[in-house]
Amino acid sequence: MQRNRPPSAQSIRVLRALAADPAQWRYGYDLATEVHLKSGSLYPILVRLADRGLLETSWEPGVDSRPPRHLYRLTSAGREFVAALPAARADRTVAHPHSRWSEA
Amino acid sequence: MPLPSVLMLCLLGIGIAMFRRSPQAFLDRPSSDVPTVLLNWAVGLLSDEHAEWGQAMLGELGYIEGRIRRWRFAAGCVIAALLLPPWGRAAAGVWAIIAVAAGSVGLYASLAIRFGLDGGDWVNWAWAAIAAGALAGFVLGSSALLRRPGAAIPGLLAGLILAVVSLAMTGFTFYEVIGTITTFQQNLIVRIGVPFAVGAVGTLWRRDAAVGRRIARLAAVSSGLVLYLYSTLAVTVLGAGGPPDNPGLTGGGIVSDRLGNNLIDLLLGTLLAATVGWAGAAFAGRLRPGPSIPAASSNPQQEA
Repeated sequence: MQRNRPPSAQSIRVLRALAADPAQWRYGYDLATEVHLKSGSLYPILVRLADRGLLETSWEPGVDSRPPRHLYRLTSAGREFVAALPAARADRTVAHPHSRWSEA
Repeated sequence: MPLPSVLMLCLLGIGIAMFRRSPQAFLDRPSSDVPTVLLNWAVGLLSDEHAEWGQAMLGELGYIEGRIRRWRFAAGCVIAALLLPPWGRAAAGVWAIIAVAAGSVGLYASLAIRFGLDGGDWVNWAWAAIAAGALAGFVLGSSALLRRPGAAIPGLLAGLILAVVSLAMTGFTFYEVIGTITTFQQNLIVRIGVPFAVGAVGTLWRRDAAVGRRIARLAAVSSGLVLYLYSTLAVTVLGAGGPPDNPGLTGGGIVSDRLGNNLIDLLLGTLLAATVGWAGAAFAGRLRPGPSIPAASSNPQQEA
C-alpha cells in the first residue's frame, strides 16, 4: 500500500516550478538548476510525484546522435494539488540558492 | 602465495576477462566518457518498473555540456539509482552486510582506543582510512550486486560457505586466524578450489554466465567481510597475545600489525576469490552457454 505522506519542502519546490507554466514540458536538468537541487535529489522526487499521479512524462526524440530526452509536466491532479497547498507551506519553500553543488 | 604473485594473477585475470568481453573496446580508447559509463552501470540496478527513469537520466546526461557538470549530474544520478526503492528481498541482505561491516568498524575502534593506536602515528590513521574506505566500498559493491536479479541468495549463500570453509581450515580458532598458518593444500582449496566452484556452480544453477560472475563477486565480497569481522574479533580477543610476533614490537605495534594484515587479507583475498570465481563462471559458461541477457532498449519512447 502506497503511503501519501505530505510532500517535502524540496518536492514542493519542484511542484511550484512545474506549476509556474503547467502546459510547458520541462527537462530534468533545467528543473534541477531552477530549484537548486542535485540530480540525486530531483529524480527520486520526480519518481514519487509520477507514482502519485501528480506528474506526467513524455519523451522527446533524440537530436542527431543524442539520446531521447525525458520531459515532465504536472497532470491536472498535480495542478490541483499545488493549488491546494497552504500558503504557509508554500512560504517555507522559498528556494535558498546555496552551494555550487546544487547545480547538479 | 606471495602477495605480488596474487596481485599479478588477479590483474592478469581481470585483463583477460575485459579483453574477452569486448576486444575492440579493450584495445581502443573507450567510446563513452566515465560519467556515462558509471551511469550506465547504475541504471542497470533499477527495478523494471523504474527502468524508464534510468533511461531518462542517461538521456539528460547526453545534453549536459562540461566535464564537471556531467560528473556532478552523473554522480547524483548514480546515488539516486543505488538508493531508489523498491529493494525487495535485497534489503535484508544489504542490512546484513552493513551489520557485519559496522561490527568490524566497532571492533577496530575499540582496539584503537584500547591500544592507543591514534597516538599521533600517521601510519595508524592511514590504515584506518584505508579500512574505512575498503569497508564502504565493499558495502556499496555488495548492495549493487544484491539488486541484480538472481544473484542475491546464491551469492550470500556461497559467501557463507566460502567463509565457513576458510574458517574450518583454521579449526575455527582465533589463534590460527591470527597466525595465518595454512598449508599449500589449504590455500589451494580456499583460494582457488572453492571460489572456482562457486562461479561454476552459480553459472550452471542460473544458466547464465553473467549471473554466475555476479554470484562469484558477491560471494567473494560477503565472505571477505565475514572473515574480516572474524579476524578483527580475533585481534580483539587475543590483543597482543597469541601466536608469537615480532618480539621488538610493543603491544600497540603488534595489534596495529595484525589489523594491517587483516586488511591486506581482506583486499587481496577478496580480489583473488572474485577473479577465480569469475574464471569458474566463464568456464561453466563454455560448458553450458546460457541465454543472453536482453540489452536495454535504445529507444525508450517505444517502451513508454
